[in-house]
Amino acid sequence: MNTGDSKQRKLLWGSVAVVALVVIATLIDKGSIGLQLILSGLTVGSIYALVAMGFSIIYSSTRVINFAQGGFSMLGGMLMYSLAVSGKLPMWLAFILAVLIVTALGAGFERVVIRPMKDHSVITVIIVTIGLSIFMTAVAKWIWGTDPVKIASFSGDKPLRLFGASLVPQSLWVFGLTLVAVALVFLFFNRTLLGKGMRAAADNPDAASLVGVSSSTSSLVAWTLAAGLGAAAGVVIAPINFAQYSAGTALGLKGFSAAVLGGLGSAPGAVVGGLVLGVLETITAGYLPSGYKDAVAFVILILVLLVRPQGLLGRPEEVKV
Amino acid sequence: MVVGAFILLIPLWAKFIPGDVLHMDIVNLMVLTGVYACAVVGLNLLVGYAGQISLGHAAFFGIGAYTTAILCTHMHWFPTWLGVIAGAVLAGAVGWLVGKPVLRLKGNYLAMATLGLGEIAFILFQQVKGLTGGTVGILDIPPLSIFGLKFDTDLKFFFLIWVVILVLLLVSINLIKSRVGRGLRALHSSEVAADAMGVATGRYKAQVFVLSAAFAGLGGAMFAHFQKYINPESFTLALSILFITMVVVGGMGNIWGGLVGVVILTFLPSVIQALPQWIPGLPHGLSNFSNYELVLYGALLILFMMFMPKGVAFGLSRAADYTEVRARHFRDRQKARKMEGR
Repeated sequence: MNTGDSKQRKLLWGSVAVVALVVIATLIDKGSIGLQLILSGLTVGSIYALVAMGFSIIYSSTRVINFAQGGFSMLGGMLMYSLAVSGKLPMWLAFILAVLIVTALGAGFERVVIRPMKDHSVITVIIVTIGLSIFMTAVAKWIWGTDPVKIASFSGDKPLRLFGASLVPQSLWVFGLTLVAVALVFLFFNRTLLGKGMRAAADNPDAASLVGVSSSTSSLVAWTLAAGLGAAAGVVIAPINFAQYSAGTALGLKGFSAAVLGGLGSAPGAVVGGLVLGVLETITAGYLPSGYKDAVAFVILILVLLVRPQGLLGRPEEVKV
Repeated sequence: MVVGAFILLIPLWAKFIPGDVLHMDIVNLMVLTGVYACAVVGLNLLVGYAGQISLGHAAFFGIGAYTTAILCTHMHWFPTWLGVIAGAVLAGAVGWLVGKPVLRLKGNYLAMATLGLGEIAFILFQQVKGLTGGTVGILDIPPLSIFGLKFDTDLKFFFLIWVVILVLLLVSINLIKSRVGRGLRALHSSEVAADAMGVATGRYKAQVFVLSAAFAGLGGAMFAHFQKYINPESFTLALSILFITMVVVGGMGNIWGGLVGVVILTFLPSVIQALPQWIPGLPHGLSNFSNYELVLYGALLILFMMFMPKGVAFGLSRAADYTEVRARHFRDRQKARKMEGR
């Protein structure tokens, strides 16, 4: 796999160079407004990265694209509203509780709905996750209504000045949380027996199950992790974007595009994909009518699929005859 | 045959039931069913027979709808039937253009790419305001008329759309039975093997993709003339997902099953809404179902997939087998008991 690795590295650095060029061009062209665009792009991108990691983790251990992934983020945001604003709990406690509740829900879904479907075709399971997504959205609409709700920032709203651009303090929380979450996921997959086992199972499920990696446990852990990551993303972005029952779909689609861009099934790829997508999106919004901003994700999605379906950091799928 | 007769006679028997008994407009829903069925019959060929997943067929449905709507509202002399044909042809042409590169992808990756295409089409419907009217869409689309025959009521449209469906079904069934159909099925079970046996897999896939896109375009164009207005909200990812769900709920690779899926999923929301009114004396809080209509819809979708993963058609035939086996078992036991008694 040496040649593959070096080619992969070349492609990775090539795309990093392209993105860097775009960023530099924007900075030269727009100055501090350009910096502003990039900072907000990185903020959104971090959220995409967290959602994309959820997609990737579930995909690599079950081969299922989880259309309910955005719903976890939406639920996280709405629960944060209930606990912190309506329930008047301290922010940190509300945060932890919201994430824990959604994580438990994710685990529950896996046991009750996904697990019994393990022998069915992928498209059937995908439709089940679509059903889950509709279900979650509908329950949220029922509980919280249709109006978007505002949640206070974790530490005030006084923007920080940075070379003429301003940065809301909540963005720092987003960056911080993303860093911590990414670090934890990496530690889990590289340092713990269970995580290593799951990576082995993603590589070769049959061989892994022969040496005692339980596919049932892998699937459960994957869904739990993905739900937790999604919820954390939803909670931390809520003060910037408002929380609303319908927020899950758009976030899910963007996170999904980010995951494909980075390479579906690759956790580092998800992070790179999320950040790149976020930055390119906001830069596009700076130059084109904002309605086209949402098209960026999908144009990138299709280009990546046509040129390099395995994404920036993913490995090509083996074709078995 | 029985089912066909039943469907064609719906306007007759539906008329005898006063509107406030069922709390839904059956003829209207059946027209909608027919419009969706155009897309689903084609999609079933693609998904069920050729084994290629598309999560973007709302785009073709939308292209068909916008084509005829733009032609017939910008140029008032433009014959509406030609608009419908133009819609189907343009949808097919777009299908041909995007199908070539996209169909090189397989399985999940094809699903993602078609999902992306669908989203891009949706954004274009919203943003190319000069042609599509942006988020407001296009209003006052003239009713469909063919050689002076105006299809301006639900009932007239009902007969038209089901004749169209009949034609599409005949085309599909002939296709399945032809050389192409056998090739497609071979392709579905193993693309490599089919390739090795000399099936032109790439060409067949592209052809059936174009056909399914044109069917969807036809459905979309009919939809535009039936509704008389369109806007981008009608052609979102939700519609693409609805189409594929109809295929799967009905039964992949089963043309008739696909139709059953369309009927079930088109009627389900209305049935859920009407349900509390069928039960007399329900407290008011419970009878306002609009709150949890979607909750039930999502839950039912999950349950369908969990208990009838191969589709309703297959599930029902299996249930019938099961009851038959049980009945035979029961008869045998009774016979045995009689023998004992003697």
